Amino acid sequence: MFHWLEKHPFFFAVGVFLVISFAGLIEILPSFAQASRPVIGTAPYSTLELAGRHVYIKNSCNACHSQLVRPFKSETDRYGHYSLSGEYAYDRPFLWGSKRTGPDLMRVGNYRTTDWHENHMKDPASVVPGSIMPAYRWMFTKKADIDTAFAEQLTVANYFSVPYNQPVPMKDGSTAVVKLGNSVAEANTIALEEAKVIAADMKDQDVKDAVARGEIPEIVALIAYLNSLK
Amino acid sequence: MNKLYLGGIIFTALMLILTYLSVGGSKGGLNDDIVNMLAITGAVALVIITVFVVIKYVRQMQIDSATGELVDENWDGIGEYKNSVPTGWAVMFLLTMVWGMWYWTIGYPVNAYSQIGEYNEDVTVHNAKFEAQYKDITGDRLVEMGESLFLAECKVCHGINADGIDGKAANLNKRIDAASVKHVLEKGSNNKLMGMETPMPDRSGLFNANTGALITDAEIDTVSAYVANGMSGEGADIFAGACSMCHGADGKGMEFVAPNIAAYTPALVSTVLTHGKKGSIGVMPKFERLNDKQKEAVGAYITNISK
Repeated sequence: MFHWLEKHPFFFAVGVFLVISFAGLIEILPSFAQASRPVIGTAPYSTLELAGRHVYIKNSCNACHSQLVRPFKSETDRYGHYSLSGEYAYDRPFLWGSKRTGPDLMRVGNYRTTDWHENHMKDPASVVPGSIMPAYRWMFTKKADIDTAFAEQLTVANYFSVPYNQPVPMKDGSTAVVKLGNSVAEANTIALEEAKVIAADMKDQDVKDAVARGEIPEIVALIAYLNSLK
Repeated sequence: MNKLYLGGIIFTALMLILTYLSVGGSKGGLNDDIVNMLAITGAVALVIITVFVVIKYVRQMQIDSATGELVDENWDGIGEYKNSVPTGWAVMFLLTMVWGMWYWTIGYPVNAYSQIGEYNEDVTVHNAKFEAQYKDITGDRLVEMGESLFLAECKVCHGINADGIDGKAANLNKRIDAASVKHVLEKGSNNKLMGMETPMPDRSGLFNANTGALITDAEIDTVSAYVANGMSGEGADIFAGACSMCHGADGKGMEFVAPNIAAYTPALVSTVLTHGKKGSIGVMPKFERLNDKQKEAVGAYITNISK
């Protein structure tokens, strides 16, 4: 057979290709598939969180803030456990960022709170002296786009099998269910329920009033998103 | 004599003359420098050996005729002899296979580089060093450590001066502020994490022994100001009547019954850092990233500044 292969360079090339591809398939694909599976404790984004993620993207937060903790002692001391591939399973697109003008936000939900974010987004220098981060006051009045968030949820649920309305395993052994509405109206109701929880911890009376009226300011969605980063 | 040898000798002589000229003409030249002499000797040897080796093989190509058994294939008339593998090659080939087996089973799996592995080693080394260096740290040094930790971790909410930045977080320069006392009096408090056996009741369970009735709004305001003021001023009688049976006459608390509300204790700070808390101002997250020694240090610092 080898003599035959030596005389037929095309089939020889095909043979070489097959052997090398096979090695690639069994070496690379399984570990890649394993690593990109959601880790335990990673749940899909709820409607409000996803709307907040859109606010995050719209305001280019990722230009100054990364979402990727590298495995170095200095970073894990400051930001928490290093990032795992599976933690980005529901990020479309991922927001790793490439530059840290501000700190990493991969796990900001672990060590900052709703009221802190509220103070900080309104006037960063009031809580972090010398901060160069601009204030984002318009987020307190502009309304979050819940419809688009719902549309994205519906898309990823249908085309990428993101497990909405299904139990998702959490770190403490329990399961969580992230709700996905059946209609735009229901999605808005679900988002408003989440928004009420966030607004309860906030101080801004205009925001509280808006949520009480059934409106969701961008800041509420953004804080819901930031709190979900754990 | 063969023309080839003649050409070779002429070429060698030419090269030697050129070498002599270029070295002799250069700075340093052909003096007693041993390194120069060695280099020139080497150059001369190389020239001679090269020329005669080339001549040998050219001669061989001119006069040799091929013999031996051909393999079956030929490629457009070009054939190949059946030769046995040279011994050196064969040995190297076998050794490579042995090395390959070692690398496959032991070499790679045991010695492979892993970023996470390096990280884990770093952490182990760091933790051991920390443990060794700060095992017996006490007193002022513990407070200093607490201060640097405070400035790294806590100042973002509590402010550089620990004043809570205009009510954005608790003012740690004093044990408790009036709004917090009032909040706890009205809502009660579950002190289980602090090792207390029963929770503090909300206002529907708080009796003022002086009046024999439930605590009133006015009394809550007065006693809140009293506690916030460092257990002084107006309200001592209400405190004695409603609070002191659990918190003690001086507010320093009792073990398993009620916490110290007159001053911070390291145990309280450690508990809050471990579990976080939700109070009248808002939510404080837990700080799992601090180790026990560091929590103790933050406790020492806060106890120190709030004196």
